[in-house]
Amino acid sequence: MPIEFDQVGYTYIDPKSRKRKARRVERGQGASERGKWGTDPDAIWALREISFTVEDGEFLGVCGHTGSGKSTLIQHMNGLVHPAEGRVLFDGKDMADKAVAARVRTSCGMVFQYPEHQLFAETVYEDVAFGPRNMGLSADDVDARVREGLSSVGLDFEELHEKSPFELSGGQQRRVAFAGVLAMRPKVLVLDEPVAGLDPKARREFLALIKGLHETGLTVVMVSHSMEDLAELCDRVLVLSEGRRLLLGTPDEVFANAELLKSVGLAVPAPQALALRLRERGFSLNRGLYDVEGLAADLADELAPCLAARFEEAGKR
Amino acid sequence: MSEVAVFGQYWAGDSPVHRMDPRVKMLLSLAVMVVVFCAQGWLGLGACAAFIVGFFLAAQIPISQALRSIAPLLFLVVLTALLNVLFVQGGEVYFQWWIICVSEEGVTRAAFVACRLFLLLMSASLLTLTTATLDITEAFERLLAPFARIGLPAHELGMMMGIALRFLPQFTSELRTVYRAQVSRGATFTANPFKGGVRSLLALMIPLFTSAFRHAETLSSAMDARCYHGGVGRTRLRELSLGRLDAAGVAAVALMLAAVLACNVLAAGIL
Repeated sequence: MPIEFDQVGYTYIDPKSRKRKARRVERGQGASERGKWGTDPDAIWALREISFTVEDGEFLGVCGHTGSGKSTLIQHMNGLVHPAEGRVLFDGKDMADKAVAARVRTSCGMVFQYPEHQLFAETVYEDVAFGPRNMGLSADDVDARVREGLSSVGLDFEELHEKSPFELSGGQQRRVAFAGVLAMRPKVLVLDEPVAGLDPKARREFLALIKGLHETGLTVVMVSHSMEDLAELCDRVLVLSEGRRLLLGTPDEVFANAELLKSVGLAVPAPQALALRLRERGFSLNRGLYDVEGLAADLADELAPCLAARFEEAGKR
Repeated sequence: MSEVAVFGQYWAGDSPVHRMDPRVKMLLSLAVMVVVFCAQGWLGLGACAAFIVGFFLAAQIPISQALRSIAPLLFLVVLTALLNVLFVQGGEVYFQWWIICVSEEGVTRAAFVACRLFLLLMSASLLTLTTATLDITEAFERLLAPFARIGLPAHELGMMMGIALRFLPQFTSELRTVYRAQVSRGATFTANPFKGGVRSLLALMIPLFTSAFRHAETLSSAMDARCYHGGVGRTRLRELSLGRLDAAGVAAVALMLAAVLACNVLAAGIL
């Protein structure tokens, strides 16, 4: 079920006040120079002319500097926020229709930043069951979903289901919150900085968990500030800058634009940055995108002849 | 983000009224309210209105902004007027049906009370329109300070008021996030308790409460880390001091009181 963005624009200006302004314009008062849409001089656009499609089964990364519209963009994906201009289509249906948006919510799971802050129930079981219950499932189905949700995030049902979510550690709380979303069996999983604030170990485990979920066939959209994570996990990366689409492509394509990314306050992954600088100095490093292992291997190949020559020289002396 | 006017939301400016000492302003706005209550007849009320319009002019606040800021409370005015129409009887009867009876005295009384309430709201909003919340908090604290001797925690009350005001926008934005998260999990929020409304409300309120506790703990540690130890011996960055403007303000309100009292006497004499 692809999610298609068609020329989406979003503004924080209250639609009612925009209507009021439009009426003023009609009466010939106020901002009369307003021409076609988007030229309104005092509108603050959070998103402008965004078009792309989240394909089935892909892992799409979204990045951009703070305030570039990442969170606003992903909230369009399950109809929480409606575009001021343009359309968002889920499986070909316009999400402006409330019935469509309500249906989409069960197939598009949204995990917000710090999802553990949204836990509320007395027990882990009740919290995970919240989503499935809202879907109107029978008690048996709900039970099955809760077990499935907890096991898919690597938590032990028997050990945890009667505990209060507030007794758990931060990492476990986040897993419970995740389970609450997964229990709705979404087709698309939208994650807003899923590993923010976790320690390195929990972070690795979490990323592995997300990778595993993607491999079971889930479409994943992940917002992240970590270029390394995006380069490693994503099929495609979308870069936003000031609400506009700056780049969209495979990690190789996107991270080849080191200068452009730097100019909007982003970086390329550290090994890639090193590789690009070495290439400038004449090293023949030809891969599109380097991770630590790849860079080490290619550098070894590059340096081996030259080091061998040195050793030979030393041996002769 | 939204353009909804909040009652008496601070309207930044640099008028004489803005520059007055917040303590004096607070007391004077109380005094103005008392004066409005003193006005007995239409003449007195007219004098009050004239003075209040004068204060708004001095504060350089556009009248449309002033009206917009009290708009959410105008229903109070309407409600009070309606009650007066229905319950005050006397004079010529204009309309009667079942137990509803609209009489001449009721209508006059209602109009009078509505005008008085309207003027009260206007004068109350003038304080908050021209004084930043931080200044109001400080004025509140300083005015209560004399009562600290009999054990009233003046500083603590002021601090609580300031913190509460500071956290309102924070909780609004957090509530919005929690709301969206729960809607994403298929929650529907209705006021009807028979449709799982209470349960859904819990899903909003409990995260909000836990976040309030979390913020409270963080804030108290942050205050400890900066050696906050209550109001004793605490100095201020900006000392409040009384000036000529404050004297002028007191004089203006005194004049208002005199005018209203004169009007009352005049009206009584004429009748």
